[in-house]
Amino acid sequence: MIELFHIWKQYQKPFWALSDVTLQIKDGDFYFITGPSGSGKTTLLKTIFREILPTEGQILINGVNILKIHDSRIYTLRRRMGIVFQDFRLMFHRTVFENVAVPLQVIGVARKEIRRRVFNTLQKVNLHQKMWELPSHLSYGEQQRVAIARAVVNNPEIILADEPTGNLDPELAFEIVSLFKDINRQGTTVIIGSHDRELIRHFGDNILFLQKGKIVGKEAHP
Amino acid sequence: MIEKIKFFLTVTGNNLWQFRTRNIFSVTIICLSFLTVGIFMSLSNNLRATARELSNNMIVAFYLDKSMPAAAVDALSQEVGKPAFVESVRMVTPEEALEKFRQSFPELADIVTGLKTNPFPASIELRVNGKASASGEVIAFVDSMKTRPGVTDVQFNQDWVEKMQGFSRLAGAIGAFMGGILLLTSFFIISNVVKLNVFARKNEIEILRLVGATNLFIRIPFWLEGIVLGLLGSLLSLGLLFVVINLFPIYLGASLGALQELLRFRYPDLTQAAGLLLGGAATGFVGSATSVSKFLKV
Repeated sequence: MIELFHIWKQYQKPFWALSDVTLQIKDGDFYFITGPSGSGKTTLLKTIFREILPTEGQILINGVNILKIHDSRIYTLRRRMGIVFQDFRLMFHRTVFENVAVPLQVIGVARKEIRRRVFNTLQKVNLHQKMWELPSHLSYGEQQRVAIARAVVNNPEIILADEPTGNLDPELAFEIVSLFKDINRQGTTVIIGSHDRELIRHFGDNILFLQKGKIVGKEAHP
Repeated sequence: MIEKIKFFLTVTGNNLWQFRTRNIFSVTIICLSFLTVGIFMSLSNNLRATARELSNNMIVAFYLDKSMPAAAVDALSQEVGKPAFVESVRMVTPEEALEKFRQSFPELADIVTGLKTNPFPASIELRVNGKASASGEVIAFVDSMKTRPGVTDVQFNQDWVEKMQGFSRLAGAIGAFMGGILLLTSFFIISNVVKLNVFARKNEIEILRLVGATNLFIRIPFWLEGIVLGLLGSLLSLGLLFVVINLFPIYLGASLGALQELLRFRYPDLTQAAGLLLGGAATGFVGSATSVSKFLKV
């Protein structure tokens, strides 16, 4: 379970990027965080994976206060999460296989096992036939699927996706969120930051509305 | 663990290849630095060895007055043979001295052939025990003999030994000084090359951080890069040093004439060669580690 207690974040005075955000996300939830640009979606996601520290407040993941984890131990938290960005953040001089294999190499998984898991994951996102291609040879949608494959290859407990469909046309966006939904059905908590109302309306089980850093609404559709 | 080592080696290899132009430049500078150190080390080796050879074959020559009676020569010869540090005593007649001169300096043989009288005096040559050669006892003995009646001159190659040792120290010092400056240059070059590599791979480092790589995991390939660059540079410098040592006598050695023996290069011994290689690796590692800790905020 992810619990945020009275999170405040200020980058520069007098503006608050997050104002008193308190939130609980249960294991296995499919969660949308939405709001206009500058509402604090990205800041909220970044505080959850400890890319930034809140000015005030506490964040517990499965009871552990992640703000108390020493910088040199952040990797223990990141290994339990998969992160997907709007700009994909792929290594463009490495093949699709190499990109997806990175989280496994980091934890020292044997080469044979890496091959098996990467292949299976790429099969799930329907990219196994392009395993040896460079990301630059793929379409935007395919590149985003590589980023998703990289995020899930390590079977993380939580997936955080920041505007994962921002660069994609509506059809592809629908396809990508369907992929997240499939992953969620297998028990992974998925949190997506998006301002795409159509997608949220279609897929949103739990929706958090942010405006100027404040929670202005919550919806749950179990 | 083995998987991680394989991964690091692959990543290091890929990175070295990806930025090969700047890496080749860096290896070249390291190579030139270590070649300079190696050349002076090799020169110093030769001078030191020459000094050692001279001190192991220390000879004191007493040149005698031509009018000295034979009995006085015999008495002197017996007297100089008494000290414990004397290994052997040999009388050299003027004829033997002339013949030795002809053999040692064949190009000057014509000059002495034309002379009506033999210009060389008789002499007594003492071979001094190698261990005692530099002792005060020998020097005091030589000094005391200089004032003896019938002894016109004394030649003692201890002076040469000291000169050789001095030259050897000088060559070593010049090598250390120039090498030090060049090593510092190598250090900065490696440091800057790694800095450029860190900036070029910013995106990749960011991704590694996000997927849970430890700081060590991110840093190791950069350290390895520095070590490989340093090792390659010093290895190449060792190869070039052997080429220099072999080619120098062929192309330049003859033009040095009598100095050829002194300016000869000697191969570095195994310890020195290993020292050069380790020095290269250490320079690479320190250069890279400095840059990584300064510019890689992980």
